[in-house]
Amino acid sequence: MLRSFISPTLALIGVLGFAPLADAQGTSQVVPSKPSTPAPLRDLSGIWLPKIGAQGSGAAAMPADGKPEHELPYTPYGLEMAKRNKSSNGPQQVAAVDENDPAHACDPQGFPREDLFEMRATQFMQTPLQTILLYTYGKVYRVVWTDGRELPRDPDPHWYGYSVGKWTDDYTFVVDTNGTDPRTWVDNAGRPHSEDLRVQEVFHRLDHDNMELTVTIDDPKVYTKPWTALKNVRFTLMPPNTELPEMLCSPSELARYNKTYAPASKKK
Amino acid sequence: MFPRLTFLGAALAAAPFAFLLPMLANAQGTAPAKPGESKSAPALPRDLTGIWEPVRSIEGIQPSGALNMPADGKPEHDLHFTPYGLEMAKRNKSSNGPNAVASTEENDPAHVCEPQGFPREELFEVRATQILQNPLQVVMLYTYGRVWRVIWTDGRELPKDPDPHWYGYSVGKWKDDYNFVVQTNGTDERTWLDNAGRPHSEDLRVEEVFHRVDHDHMELSMTIIDPKVYEKPWVALNKLQFRLKPATTELPEMMCSPSELAEYNRKHAGPGAKKK
Repeated sequence: MLRSFISPTLALIGVLGFAPLADAQGTSQVVPSKPSTPAPLRDLSGIWLPKIGAQGSGAAAMPADGKPEHELPYTPYGLEMAKRNKSSNGPQQVAAVDENDPAHACDPQGFPREDLFEMRATQFMQTPLQTILLYTYGKVYRVVWTDGRELPRDPDPHWYGYSVGKWTDDYTFVVDTNGTDPRTWVDNAGRPHSEDLRVQEVFHRLDHDNMELTVTIDDPKVYTKPWTALKNVRFTLMPPNTELPEMLCSPSELARYNKTYAPASKKK
Repeated sequence: MFPRLTFLGAALAAAPFAFLLPMLANAQGTAPAKPGESKSAPALPRDLTGIWEPVRSIEGIQPSGALNMPADGKPEHDLHFTPYGLEMAKRNKSSNGPNAVASTEENDPAHVCEPQGFPREELFEVRATQILQNPLQVVMLYTYGRVWRVIWTDGRELPKDPDPHWYGYSVGKWKDDYNFVVQTNGTDERTWLDNAGRPHSEDLRVEEVFHRVDHDHMELSMTIIDPKVYEKPWVALNKLQFRLKPATTELPEMMCSPSELAEYNRKHAGPGAKKK
């Protein structure tokens, strides 16, 4: 029986390659081969499949792989936060029994981690006032307001923050987010953020069938300068009858999985 | 830091004081209902789009079980279990209803942050819900759990041998311009139907009827069909009334967090847990 069981458990042990399992749950990976036609104007609606898999080692454009060019410019405060986040991924990885990834206990992974780990087929829907993203991972939705409102000046923290978006031209949609919850991790490598985090996403529609996403992290309390977490990640438009698989975190499934498999992991 | 609704939502649901939540939810951004709304313009045909909220908050919360069949001990609300269903029902220990157990004994899966699933999403904690439509789908955005649900409207049939999913598999058809009928199967029998712990099997079929009364009002009825568990179908919702909210309404964020729940229980569960 294929259940949501596989999602949290495999996330827990940091496995990268379970896209085929998710696909078995219903997402058909049909990639159009014919030349694409021009895109409709100011329209992202549809089901989009990113051409990257799970970002197991951290944000795709800044993986925690120990390379100097991927070292993040922490402030002293940020460095203290980073030390408290114990990930089972990256160069500072700890044993699975010592990690403290909140998403591994089924806390909401929140935003921007929704874009920076396990980003899968994502449906966009638009109304005159909103662009809405339906994510596969966590079966969670996110509202981006497009009615011209500004970001709140003193937002309460929320797992998924508060987002507003504007079209800077007919094919480029820019989303700014604040009001995120510092309990969440930025990515799977445990990069931290504060309540002052600002995230900018740029969705650039290349043509009818293709889109790119760039994500920038700006959190002066934690990082001395903004950094690029995703750079031109390509998405392909899926058929509109594509069924997004159901991936929900279940504490009981996780406990059962850990009971079955954790002893072997602990000995590593 | 302002107390998070997510924390309160999970903790109070566990505590079973969930009926206290509406005002807290409103405090986070859902505009209050306007009193005295009555005559409304006609609705657009075959259109449910918008943000809908139960007219009376408590009717959405449904703390004692499905609104039309609460577990209140009245004979007319006794469900007709099969022997198999009765065994299932005995295993579900709820802290609500006439067979309520102490909160330390209850085993509500949603109280440990398991997905509450469907149809419980509409039989407990129904709050402001946004409905979206495109040519192939009607999409529900629920406040509780912040989950979305797809209802296929492209003419496909229900799967004949579905794998179980927390939120099942749904298809819908317009019976006329103002009645949208949704059939669901493939649900996960680990979930409860409602807050009173009514069980269901993997054979469960749910029928929802969304009736758009006029521009500003909608009614939802729901029938539970599960011959393995219940001797006959029963009506869980009978015209639950919803009112259309302004399009700028912000749905609050209500997500279950095991860490918040643990923190709440650590602070409050000690002596209070023994009182029941």
